[in-house]
Amino acid sequence: MTDSPARTAREEWGSRFGFLMAMVGAMVGAGNIWRMPFTTGQNGGGAFLVAYILLLYVIAVPGLMAETMVGRYTNTGVIGSFRQVLQSKRGQGLGLVVLIVNVALMSYYAPIIAWALYYTVHSLLLTFTQPGFQPQAFWEGFISNPALVIGMHTLTMAGLAGVLVFGIRRGIERVVKWMIPLLVIALIAVGIRGVTLPGGTEGLAFVFTPEWESLARGSTWVAALSQALFSTGLGWGIALTYGSYLGRYDDVPLGGGLFTAVGNTSIGLLAVFATFPVVFAFGLEPSAGSNLLFISLAEVFPELPGGAAWAIVFFASFFFATFTSGLGITEVGVTTVSEETDLSRTGSVLAVCGVIWLLGLPSAYSSSFLDQMDFMFGTFGLPLATLSIIVLVAWKIGPECARVIDLNRNTGIYVGRWWNPVVKYVIPAVMIFILGYGVISSIGTENQTLMILGVAFMVVLTVVSTAVMSIIGEASTGSVELASEGGD
Amino acid sequence: MALSTVAWVTMLLAILALPGVASVVLVRSLRTEGRKLTLLREQGNLDSYSPQALKELREWIRTNPNNPYVADARQRYNECVRTLREIDDPYYDWSDDQIEELEVIEE
Repeated sequence: MTDSPARTAREEWGSRFGFLMAMVGAMVGAGNIWRMPFTTGQNGGGAFLVAYILLLYVIAVPGLMAETMVGRYTNTGVIGSFRQVLQSKRGQGLGLVVLIVNVALMSYYAPIIAWALYYTVHSLLLTFTQPGFQPQAFWEGFISNPALVIGMHTLTMAGLAGVLVFGIRRGIERVVKWMIPLLVIALIAVGIRGVTLPGGTEGLAFVFTPEWESLARGSTWVAALSQALFSTGLGWGIALTYGSYLGRYDDVPLGGGLFTAVGNTSIGLLAVFATFPVVFAFGLEPSAGSNLLFISLAEVFPELPGGAAWAIVFFASFFFATFTSGLGITEVGVTTVSEETDLSRTGSVLAVCGVIWLLGLPSAYSSSFLDQMDFMFGTFGLPLATLSIIVLVAWKIGPECARVIDLNRNTGIYVGRWWNPVVKYVIPAVMIFILGYGVISSIGTENQTLMILGVAFMVVLTVVSTAVMSIIGEASTGSVELASEGGD
Repeated sequence: MALSTVAWVTMLLAILALPGVASVVLVRSLRTEGRKLTLLREQGNLDSYSPQALKELREWIRTNPNNPYVADARQRYNECVRTLREIDDPYYDWSDDQIEELEVIEE
């Protein structure tokens, strides 16, 4: 770590629209499109949606407000934020935990973006409407070809680096300002086409018919909690990092909290309309994950009038959703590395993208390795990272202090005292519950060994990170540092 | 298969609670930014807190004199008070009487 050499003025978002699209783009990902429709249908349909929307407003919105606020207040990335708030070298270790979990997540998310890119390219080549096209064989041929999947993974990371190297305003903002509106338009168009197909409403019935008795099942609430918390990107460090590029007159609660959480879930709802009517209209087996997109839906495009065009619209929208998430996740590492080392922005982009590319090779090569990484970091890493960030606000700064000094400053909506207990007690309790539930539900299953490995890894990661940062971490100034405030 | 009434109601409520709210928030957020930029161009400065938020900030400073963040809180409070006295058109809904009653806090 360096002794904070002089840097040029910190970049800021060029426009409110750019910031909002970047936040939503970062949080909308594969999970919204290939998991939310199925999770909704499997867990009581409309009843699940009631539970989910309730938890979204009660937990995810306040949580995202807290995370974005820390970034705006400290004007630094994850390690810098922990340094400023905790005022200890060891405390910066928790920032390092968030960073490592983030990089690990991106290492197996990058191959998923690569899949989307591959299918988008083939939709443009009109492959899916060629006579004799076999979706299952096409998918297996792709996924079992190491040179092809690693090549696409490399292309993906190069593409992300190519955008990130231009920075926040000229890189990320310029891309998301057209990708996200196009994603929304594409999903609406596919949704209208799906609903108007004969039998398409059966898909809507599967998703929206409420089974109220499912609200009495614990599994429904756990599924709703997981979807509400993790699909909104809470605790990934993205809201903190993007929030750190806000100007002094920018609002946090309305954009960083409410719009990000609700906008992200709205795109999940559009995905419901875009996928399940088509699946049911063609009598396919509803499923979640890559099978839904790359096999089930690829199967129907040849049978749709204008199927080639619909395939392009659909797979391009899926690529936009995953690529903009990739930008957000990778920027967490880029911002932190450029602040904590002597590397320039370009050097940081190359270093972070290079590490992610290298760590992503096993996931690109083997989809079962990808699933194992997802289980370990999705089940145990993310709650740990979220807990670290929320504890920073709730137990170190203090929710009332954070609310009166920064959250309600230049705000578009006033946040009342109700926010304090939610951030201080409810979100940490929920995270601990999810961690515990992940452990207990794995006992006696095929995931038991992986669970033990995951828990052990997170414990070691926390201990080693705090130890490492207590040696190499940058000493704090001994007093609460004010964020440097620039004009708009 | 036609959708049942309850499925229709659930679907419409979900659309209202998600894309409906998101659209309203997006428009409101962009409009507030537009107003802030207009005021900044005209006055060069903006008040940072609403009357309710500034009142809570003052109360917090009074009850937490030894908090490590209190210096920052005082600075932000005073900055808002001075700005309100300088500008003609506040961003938040401040009356002249409310501004008149405000006093800076000793830093």
